[in-house]
Amino acid sequence: MTTEHFSQPSIWARTWKGSRPFRPVFVVLVVVFVVLAIAQPVFASAQNLQNLLTSISVLWIVAMGMTLVLITAGADLSVAPIGALAGILLAKLLQAGIPAWLAIIISLVGGAALGGLVNGTLIGRFNVSFFVVTLGTLTAFTGIVNLWSNTESIPVNEPVILNLAVTRFLGLSGPVWIMIIIFVVTLFIQQRTFFGRDVYAVGGSISAARLSGIRVPRTIILVYAFSGLCAAIAGIVAISRIGVASPQVDANLPLQAIAAVLLGGTALSGGTGGVVGTAFGVLFIGVLSNGLSIAGVPSFWQQIVTGVILVVAVLADRIGLRRRTKSTTETSGTQPPESITAPEELAAKTSH
Amino acid sequence: MTDTVTPPPLLQMEGIEKSYGGVRALRDGRLIIQQPGTVHGLIGENGSGKSTILGILSGQIRPDGGALLVEGRPVSFSSPVDALRTGIAMVSQETALAPLLSVTENILLGRRLVRGRTGIDWRRSHQRAKLVLDRLGLTYDPRAPIGSLRPDQRQMVEIARALSLDSRVLILDEPTSSLSEDEVASIFQVIRNLSSAGVSTILVTHRLSELFEICDEITVLRDGRTVASGAAASFNPESLVSAMVGDTAAQKRVKRERIAIPAAARDSAPVLTALNVSSEPDLHNVELSLRPGEIVGLAGLVGAGRSDLLEAIFGARPRTGDVLIENVTLAPGRPSAAIRRGIGYVPPDRKTQGVVLGMSVVDNAMMVASSDRFRLRPPGTRRDVQAVSAIGSSISIRTHDLGVAVSTLSGGNQQKVALSKWLIDPPRVLLLDEPTRGVDVAAKAEIHQILVDLADRGVALLVSSSENDELLNICDRIVVMLRGRVVATVARVDADEAKLSRLSGGHLDD
Ligand SMILES: Nc1ncnc2c1ncn2[C@@H]1O[C@H](COP(=O)(O)OP(=O)(O)OP(=O)(O)O)[C@@H](O)[C@H]1O
Ligand SMILES: [Mg+2]
Repeated sequence: MTTEHFSQPSIWARTWKGSRPFRPVFVVLVVVFVVLAIAQPVFASAQNLQNLLTSISVLWIVAMGMTLVLITAGADLSVAPIGALAGILLAKLLQAGIPAWLAIIISLVGGAALGGLVNGTLIGRFNVSFFVVTLGTLTAFTGIVNLWSNTESIPVNEPVILNLAVTRFLGLSGPVWIMIIIFVVTLFIQQRTFFGRDVYAVGGSISAARLSGIRVPRTIILVYAFSGLCAAIAGIVAISRIGVASPQVDANLPLQAIAAVLLGGTALSGGTGGVVGTAFGVLFIGVLSNGLSIAGVPSFWQQIVTGVILVVAVLADRIGLRRRTKSTTETSGTQPPESITAPEELAAKTSH
Repeated sequence: MTDTVTPPPLLQMEGIEKSYGGVRALRDGRLIIQQPGTVHGLIGENGSGKSTILGILSGQIRPDGGALLVEGRPVSFSSPVDALRTGIAMVSQETALAPLLSVTENILLGRRLVRGRTGIDWRRSHQRAKLVLDRLGLTYDPRAPIGSLRPDQRQMVEIARALSLDSRVLILDEPTSSLSEDEVASIFQVIRNLSSAGVSTILVTHRLSELFEICDEITVLRDGRTVASGAAASFNPESLVSAMVGDTAAQKRVKRERIAIPAAARDSAPVLTALNVSSEPDLHNVELSLRPGEIVGLAGLVGAGRSDLLEAIFGARPRTGDVLIENVTLAPGRPSAAIRRGIGYVPPDRKTQGVVLGMSVVDNAMMVASSDRFRLRPPGTRRDVQAVSAIGSSISIRTHDLGVAVSTLSGGNQQKVALSKWLIDPPRVLLLDEPTRGVDVAAKAEIHQILVDLADRGVALLVSSSENDELLNICDRIVVMLRGRVVATVARVDADEAKLSRLSGGHLDD
């Protein structure tokens, strides 16, 4: 019998199904939030939540770009020096008297170019491993940052940029609005464009994508360019908050961003996940650090907790997936290869 | 309870049920193997539940309901390990070998490698693997990485591994779908040997002739129900097909053969010409041309260079020599360029090349047609969904919802998705490598019909297949390959199966 009619499930059904990867982090986030709000009334104050959001803005912006990179089964370790370079470029351009809007555009284009033309080309066109490439550019770009800035901070006096951090619109600060805009734009790219589909296809099966006419190198170049652009935006947001272009390269930033993306249910193996989960992942990291510091817990604890939760979340997902593919009732997305080989391996082990 | 006349069946599955969300994969699955040593055939349309019931039998999938008895005792498996302890081993439809590991490591996966005083004793491990291979009469180097073997050889390694577990029941889920006659014959020889040693085999295949050739008993599944079972001799091809598809449906599906070469194909200039195409070390100096509306078949053993030729033309592997599309050369090594020039390619391995498993049916099916659209346009528009839905019905892609991930479809249905992406907006030349691999008989006839219709609309087709009857059914001309070269070209009217096998085997004198 043929299936003449294909049904289209409701938007709610699809949303519920699509939310599967980040349900764990969402639940944990809500629980932690409620517990903190009860234990520390200050935590839930509007003022504190404002600060919290502003404090995660750099991580958030970088993590959005990182999500698309992870969906292509890659990662970008070079985001921190790209952000720093964009900031220094901006500061130097302003010193040279270039108008603020032009200086901003130039440094954003610069960030995208570093990501796309250097990282993206090497990975997408010359098939060098993303890890090697971005580890190399992390080191090289950091060197350039130090060389170019003489390891000194460059002050920025441009009011357009300084006002960004202090002006409020509808009660939200500039960095928060930028977070929202980047989130919406990335979500749009991911869900509502063919480019977004290409990103998933490349991560899901690069040879199937290639054989279907998808321009794989171009897709990869654009994804790393987008990550570079996000890093540059984050760099400028950082300047607006501290008033100087700092030569400090935060080596933790890419790792934290990757952690947030993974917490949000995107897999390192590529082809699945998305920015909604990443948003919850970043929020979780922010809520935890803010709440624990209000409670007076040393920040080392926060690192320990974040690390443990990350591993547990990814593990829980794996175990859940394995069980699902064996027995239960859900139609989940991709099956990890582990679920296919593992039982056989076990089988081989027991039958001596 | 004294001397019972008939001992309980070796294996008995009754009333097996299994649902995935709203999808009822099995409603009333029944499978009985009376005696050790029987060869049991399992057949049914794509998505009828064959892999599911066998997955349950081998402990990979947990049933929602039903009973499983081994020698009359109820058992329940919570993992493949349990099934193996009971003596049931399965070779899955999709290979699960580790490509970088050696043949030995794959056969002896994990702890069964021989341990010496200082770690693994490789010499003895290889010996032990060799023993297992010898049992099947295989001469592969145990040291070779699996990735270097051809698909049929990998299939044999999988079977070798399953056998090395000393099983009483061996389950083979479509082991022959990518093999040509010779390889199938060697697998069947193994099955017969096992059978006389008292090992039962459960075999899934979509090729009816194979069922009648080797099986003692046959079970037919339809829509998750066992609708017929009995001795193979009590069936004939017609009764099997009507059991599979239901009586009413059977009448609709008439196999239509290609009557004549369309006029266009006889007279017009070639749309594709391959000049001296080589791709060392697998392909040597191939010359070939295709006219619009023509269906050309590629026959030959597995490894004769059929797949390599299609890849080389399409640009999926490096080549020397020229490929001309209407007298303009095609840049080598770039599938996207080939697609833009109107060439399509259905690859042989659906899981890694044909589809992106994690993406939806619609997204997969639209991948090619949308590949030259502006990248910021929205996917999954109503028009696209309708287009996919129309193609999906015409080749019976069986799923309740086109938005589900392709990974949840049955094997044959995944193959149809891989094909469907070229049907939305047909190219001028379509290269197909095993287009009906794993597809059930009825759907296969539909796909053949679709290929013939494409040709009638002026598309040139180059079809590589390990099944000669498939080629004889739809092709106008058949090109035979041997060791990377074209060794003969025969018109359909002059060809028959015997001739094609002779030519494929290198007997070129006739
Ligand atoms: N993990 C899953 N999630 C949802 N549906 C599934 C899943 N696995 C199988 N199904 C559905 O169960 C049904 C039976 O699938 P099964 O793989 O057993 O078919 P099959 O008879 O082996 O077909 P084929 O000949 O194509 O291999 C199909 O409709 C399939 O879509
Ligand atoms: Mg199957």
